[in-house]
Amino acid sequence: MKRALLMLAALAALAAASAPVWAHHSFAMFEPTKTLTFKGTVKTFQWTNPHVIVWVLVQPDGGGAAQEWSLETTSPGVLTRAGWTRQSLKAGDKVSVVLSPLRDGSHGGSLNSVTLLDTGQKLVPSFGKEQPGLK
Amino acid sequence: MGNHSIRTALIAAALACARLATPAADAADKDAVNPPPSAQDWHALSLLPDWSGVWTPVISDQVAQEKSNRPPWNAKIAKQIDHMYAEEAAGRPFPIIDHCFPTGMPSWMLITHNAFEVLFTPGRVTLLGEGDGNRLRRIYTDGRAHPADPDPSFHGHSIGHWEKDTLVVDTTALLPQAYLAVNEAVGVPNNGDMHIVERLHLQGPDTLADDLTITADKVLTKPWSTTRKYYRQRAQKFDIVEGVCEQGTYTDAVDKNGNAIFAPVKFHNGVPVGSDTK
Repeated sequence: MKRALLMLAALAALAAASAPVWAHHSFAMFEPTKTLTFKGTVKTFQWTNPHVIVWVLVQPDGGGAAQEWSLETTSPGVLTRAGWTRQSLKAGDKVSVVLSPLRDGSHGGSLNSVTLLDTGQKLVPSFGKEQPGLK
Repeated sequence: MGNHSIRTALIAAALACARLATPAADAADKDAVNPPPSAQDWHALSLLPDWSGVWTPVISDQVAQEKSNRPPWNAKIAKQIDHMYAEEAAGRPFPIIDHCFPTGMPSWMLITHNAFEVLFTPGRVTLLGEGDGNRLRRIYTDGRAHPADPDPSFHGHSIGHWEKDTLVVDTTALLPQAYLAVNEAVGVPNNGDMHIVERLHLQGPDTLADDLTITADKVLTKPWSTTRKYYRQRAQKFDIVEGVCEQGTYTDAVDKNGNAIFAPVKFHNGVPVGSDTK
């Protein structure tokens, strides 16, 4: 029994090690021509390289447990040039998000915009302006 | 000027030695030291052009050049490239910059969306890039040659010299796995023997240009020349921040003891679809 458990643990470790983890990737796995809009609550605003991730908890229309969606966007440096900061969003913020969903239907997407429902402030990720001497 | 000529001659002589790869050259490599910089060395830096600030890539130009100046791929590679464009269009992008490996050379200069800064110190020009802690180029400007048998790396071995206000950089010893890419989903490993010559210079008061000539005989039919442009930013809010790529595979969490930890993110087909935090 102990040996079987060890074997299972080893297999699990192997599976974890070989699982594809692409921290940095192109955005073509998202469907740019499709957009979804929904309201939810920010779980975590992950201000990290290479991609910033807004984790949003969404209550499904039909009830049931909240779904966790990962909304990816570009890097902190690029977003800073577009006017964002690490404080732009925080856990608990009620938001409306617009996203291009993953083509395979998983709960993830490329973030097109996020609006803070309390203030109405709309944040749009972009490469920012292309010019020297940005303010 | 005199110094430039002497330095150029020294580099040419050193390069000739390196090409011979004689036992004497090996011995010279082993005995070489990095001397302490003199006051004159520090003074010489003040005569170089001003490349301070943070440089942001002109991404629209990268995109435009994908069509206007395609690399002369050989027939075998061209098929792979066509397939990659089709895959990208179909939403199945090839993950060129996955696994947190450095983007490497020349792809960093060609396709980056991130900023970099340039540091001048005696005998060295250093490029530090945003987005990935390993995005780092050391360019030796002390007149040394390439080592006779350098360790291959993502960024290669770079030596440089100044021709007036242009930094000429010669890079070799690149890993065969280092990508020659035209965007984040289209490109191929150089497969070995790649050689890059760059001429970095100011094109205007706040525009840095990198004229690259890439020789990669395993994938190109002839050397490919292209230019990439970067704009200078001086506002401190654009200072480059720490980038640890692996952080992107974890998210903030608190463990059962109340300690702040990173919890692994669940991935599906390469993108995060959930975290293990409760």
